[in-house]
Amino acid sequence: MTGTEPVLEARGLAKRYRRKVWALGGIDLALPAGGITALVGPNAAGKSTLIKTWVGFEKPTRGSVRVAGIDPWKDRSAALAKLGYVPQSPSLYDGLSVEDHLDLARQLRPSFDRDYARNRLAQLDIPATQGARDLSGGQQAQVALALALGTRAPILLLDEPLASLDPLARREFLHVLTDAVRVDGATALLSSHIVTDVEQSCDRLIVLGVGKVLLQETVTAALEAHAISLTVRPDAVASFAAPDGSRISLVRGSADRPATLDEVVLGYLASGRPSSAAAA
Amino acid sequence: MTGVLTWARLSYRQQRWELILVLVGVAATTAAMLWFAGTLDGMRAASPECLASLGNLFSEGPGPQATCQAVITAYNDNYNWGTNLVNLAWAAPFGIGVILGAPLVAREIDGGTAQLAWSLGRSRVGWLLRRIAFVSLFGLALLAVLAVSSELLTAAMFPEQTLSEDFIYFGRRGLPVVARGVGAIMLGVLVGALIGRVLPAILAAALVIGLVFMGLSLAEDRWNRAEATMQRFTVTPSGELSDMAALAVDYGMETADGEFITYGEASARGMNPNFADEDGGWYASEEDLEAGRLLGYDARLSIPGQRYPDLVLRHSALAAALGILALGLTGIVVVRRRPA
Repeated sequence: MTGTEPVLEARGLAKRYRRKVWALGGIDLALPAGGITALVGPNAAGKSTLIKTWVGFEKPTRGSVRVAGIDPWKDRSAALAKLGYVPQSPSLYDGLSVEDHLDLARQLRPSFDRDYARNRLAQLDIPATQGARDLSGGQQAQVALALALGTRAPILLLDEPLASLDPLARREFLHVLTDAVRVDGATALLSSHIVTDVEQSCDRLIVLGVGKVLLQETVTAALEAHAISLTVRPDAVASFAAPDGSRISLVRGSADRPATLDEVVLGYLASGRPSSAAAA
Repeated sequence: MTGVLTWARLSYRQQRWELILVLVGVAATTAAMLWFAGTLDGMRAASPECLASLGNLFSEGPGPQATCQAVITAYNDNYNWGTNLVNLAWAAPFGIGVILGAPLVAREIDGGTAQLAWSLGRSRVGWLLRRIAFVSLFGLALLAVLAVSSELLTAAMFPEQTLSEDFIYFGRRGLPVVARGVGAIMLGVLVGALIGRVLPAILAAALVIGLVFMGLSLAEDRWNRAEATMQRFTVTPSGELSDMAALAVDYGMETADGEFITYGEASARGMNPNFADEDGGWYASEEDLEAGRLLGYDARLSIPGQRYPDLVLRHSALAAALGILALGLTGIVVVRRRPA
């Protein structure tokens, strides 16, 4: 594995659940090492499914995924060794304290860096003796993040960890994540449907529509490449409703004003809808 | 050593309430068993003149004195309680299988903690074995205590019998109680892993464990029947039923041809025993009795008490093998299933 090879890959990845519901419909993705990538999309876009195929929780119906070059379904153990994972809900054991969770992680993964995780939690004033059920939602999310960071894995997958957090807790969570990634040189993929939360923290952006990738770029490139036209243009990526009710268009190239990241995401999500009427 | 203690502490805390529930239940049952065993022994020692004859249901001679009636009534009450407690020892492995086994993986999936554990641990099978080991050891240790207590209570209830060669309360004392616990716990875990929801898993595990062990029991009955020998079932001149230590597999008649048939088969053949001679031979009518047209004798298929250790081992091995099979299937389920 060289520095130029992608650490997370999906090739023609399709996933169908029972009753013939397609969660993913032919995804091609390649994430280079380093930085934080935001995986943004609406509910049911397939964000969790995509992440879970990398963790080895979901088997692809078609195509393949790779974690640092390893197929997690064929060699789950080797793939997991490269991964730290934060599930959608913190999913801590009610009967265990924070310290117990660190001990459990150490038992499950002998390489788990308990001191590192403990120090991170101590910095956030989360008492080690506190029972998990007595922690706030934000604290539980921080414990889940500490458990993932304590693995010292080079790749972190975070499945909408911010969804149930208040704004302050979200900011603290992102601060800890950003700090850890910068210091450790890890690669993180953070899924969310709240664009403003990830705008300041993420280097790259993946917009996932319903089962397909609509945009994959660095945040800087996405902002530089897009602009907003205050009128509907035929060459637009998509048109959608502005907050005042007027219709605006996201275009590649120059237009009336620069696009915000929120507008870039909205434009691509609108482009992925079956009709422009739906987008409006 | 520290690692083992940590593992035990974490395992206990992950399933604290079920473990406490089972501990309290087994402790109370064990205490009651030992108390009734001591009481029965004590009563016999205190009133040998009243209770000596109770060990032999068909003894001849004068019955107990009227003054003994209160002692006998109290003894019988305690004896009946003992029977109920020994029956609890029969049910305990199934209860423990449902209470400890079913929620073990189901709660991890239901509560989402399987996502955490399965992403941290590099081997789901390793996780499963660790998770099961503590609960199994805990449950089986308690069942072992219960099995020994049940053995002691049975010994107190039947002081004249050699229990190591006697099928009295077969499956309700000693090794089978523990071995059935292995099977029931593993079946409970398997059902929980398949269903992934705690309450439905508990209900389904109760059903599955009941059905599987019923099937096992039927299979063993067939096996035992193939090995059983026919034995006339009569009261001997000394007043004892013939070989009460044996395992009775079926009851019926020994025909005049020496064939064993069940009472149902006898009825289907139009053999209606109405008159008996002094030797226990059955006849259809008084005329047949006088003419010597014998229908047959009451008989049973049984396995002699000397074979008790063999059958204990066989029953225990089957139950344990069932548990190992269930554990293997659980491993496959856990490796393949989604964590939520």
